[in-house]
Amino acid sequence: MKKGKTGLSAFFGAVGGFFKEFGESVAKGDLFVKLSLVWMGAGYIRRKQIVKGILMTLFEVAVLLFSVLFAGQYVSKFGTLGTVQQESVFNIVTMQNEFNDYDNSFLILLFSVFSLIVWAVALVVWFCNIIAVYRLQKKAEAGEHINTFREDLISLINEKFHITLLTLPVLGVVFFTIIPLFILIAVAFTNYDQNHMPPASLFTWVGFKNFASLFGGGGLTSTFGYAFGKILIWTLVWAVFATITTYLGGILMSILVNSRYTKFPKLWRTLFVITIAVPQFVSLLLVRNFFADNGIMNTFCAAIGLTDWLREIGVISTSYIPFLTAPGWAHVMIILINIWIGVPYQMLIATGVLMNIPTDQLESARIDGATPRQTFFHITMPYMLFVTGPALVTDFVKNINNFNVIYLLTQGVFVTTDQMMASSQAKETDLLITWLFNLTQSYYNYKMASAIGIIVFIICAVFTLIAFNKFLKGDREEAYR
Amino acid sequence: MKKKHLRILRNNLVLAVLAFIWLVPIVWLLVTSFSKYTGMNTSTFFPAEWSLQGYRNLLFSADSVAQFPRWFWNTFVIACFTCLISTLFVLMVAYATSCMRFPMRKPLMNLAVIINLFPGVLSMIAVYFILKTFNLTNSHIGLILVYSAGAGLGYLIAKGFFDTIPTSLHEAAYLDGASEATTFVKVVLPMSRPIIVYTVISSFLVPWMDFVYAKMILNSGISSQWTVAIGLYNMLEKSLINSYFTQFCAGGVLVSIPISALFVVMQKFYVEGVTGGAVKG
Repeated sequence: MKKGKTGLSAFFGAVGGFFKEFGESVAKGDLFVKLSLVWMGAGYIRRKQIVKGILMTLFEVAVLLFSVLFAGQYVSKFGTLGTVQQESVFNIVTMQNEFNDYDNSFLILLFSVFSLIVWAVALVVWFCNIIAVYRLQKKAEAGEHINTFREDLISLINEKFHITLLTLPVLGVVFFTIIPLFILIAVAFTNYDQNHMPPASLFTWVGFKNFASLFGGGGLTSTFGYAFGKILIWTLVWAVFATITTYLGGILMSILVNSRYTKFPKLWRTLFVITIAVPQFVSLLLVRNFFADNGIMNTFCAAIGLTDWLREIGVISTSYIPFLTAPGWAHVMIILINIWIGVPYQMLIATGVLMNIPTDQLESARIDGATPRQTFFHITMPYMLFVTGPALVTDFVKNINNFNVIYLLTQGVFVTTDQMMASSQAKETDLLITWLFNLTQSYYNYKMASAIGIIVFIICAVFTLIAFNKFLKGDREEAYR
Repeated sequence: MKKKHLRILRNNLVLAVLAFIWLVPIVWLLVTSFSKYTGMNTSTFFPAEWSLQGYRNLLFSADSVAQFPRWFWNTFVIACFTCLISTLFVLMVAYATSCMRFPMRKPLMNLAVIINLFPGVLSMIAVYFILKTFNLTNSHIGLILVYSAGAGLGYLIAKGFFDTIPTSLHEAAYLDGASEATTFVKVVLPMSRPIIVYTVISSFLVPWMDFVYAKMILNSGISSQWTVAIGLYNMLEKSLINSYFTQFCAGGVLVSIPISALFVVMQKFYVEGVTGGAVKG
């Protein structure tokens, strides 16, 4: 990926330039620029930007206070994640049981990560501050106009409007995506599980132990390796089938609906779209009861003799068809039900794309005497793949993490009979993501859940990178213009 | 000509069969919601006796298990706030990345791509603990924050739309002395109706469609706090399904009607927004 490389080198170039300017600022700056190294407001006050100088000083004081009063007590314990166990002590003065001054491992972890991020930001601000005051000095020496505070404020709705726009959204992402991400990565290297639940007890760093047991290492959780292998295979099989079936199904359905031999295309389209407009938690829960062991589908199958026939040829041993309750059956049913859910959606997308297909190509193919089949394989499909290729990749990743379909169809219905699976709190129909969810919700096994989470992320990231590099090479934007 | 008629017949027949398969569960939902029997009907497709009992119980006699009007209201309030914050975030990020040029633009956009690869469900555990630390679990504010805080990452569709707005318009506004903020509010936004409607509806629908986050954050078991999704899910617990299945279907129908309507409108504006016919030129 050439673009990525130039992007990367440009990035490092920019970082290099940044530090170069910083060095120059420190070397060539006057006394006040050098003073800004310890007193961040100094350079501004020298140039009569009093308000900015005060704000910077306040910022510095705030960061220092934060470090001393708040961050210090947590970050200092980051190496051990706490050593003082919670204990109940009888206090003679108040005549009551009181807790000692205990450590909460999770709070230590959370606030340490938070403090490190605050410090990183403060460091960047500190670097930028030096550069900014040096620029001010150069401006002053050249006799240029120096902005008043009012003008600085106005620039925030003008050439610096992007700062105003991006601050809140970026903060949202930092707090609800990036900090959780770091914490998740950290937890995967600890022994945070139901035996080590803060505040009652402590947890601590264990290195790669969780990953070792996930990949079949020994210890009490030796079955995790077994469950992980099985679930990983099913996750990949599911993602491949779910993506391909709905993708092809969507294209075929779209061609059928939009064919010139079809009457009332809008009516048909609306009928199919209704099924996806119903929220998934309604439609999937409904379908799950439709196919329940004592559900209506089984009544129907028994009535037409299908159940008896299947029993005779030995496919099932029960008096009903275990659509969603036996491995194998459930796997096939989940993929089929996903077709039901996914195809209309893909049809909508395919319809949009197919409408934009260059008509001259279709026309010339028709004049050259191509059959509809040839047109489909040599013009329609290549075009579809070209336009929807990136979407296909993201669909695959989404299916790896398709929580709703699996959870709503199997939770509380499918019970595993495999002891090895059961002791890892897994079941055959689980995806990695639902397994992870159940591990945290019902078993408080956060360490393994986090380790699985990291593996899922690596799989998704590697797959996306390879797919974008290999199959969707280079800039082909012009190919169909 | 005969061949053509045959093909018309064949196409429509295939579609009819497909439509039948696709609609069977939906029809079942509809007819079961009018059943007099409270549990799941397993012997016949259509209910033995018809009645409006399910709807009446659901709407007017709330009990500790089923508080549908309350859930509907909860979800509605959450959806309104989510919609407001998300839409603002999306439009702000889209404008900054599409119409402005600043040094960190490309790196930020690349970072967003990488973060988007990380599925939300995974970081949910950590989000839960952060909310718990600030005492925001089992509160609607926590849920609103979860739904809308990361909304800025979903800016790509709106950016694609803003990209089609000709730069000459920005220049004209600039020459007229408009600030960047004025250009955003008075020039770009009024031209972006399709994409605004699309963003508004799609973010409004998130709390109605979501199940995972709501279940994780509103986990205290106090049913008056729930959203529609977890409320209806709870009705199908093994011990409750026989007394509440009809009400579940009725609730499903009631919640699906407005959502379907919004969904169809959204589709229309999506096509309009993506093909960008409104603004080109």
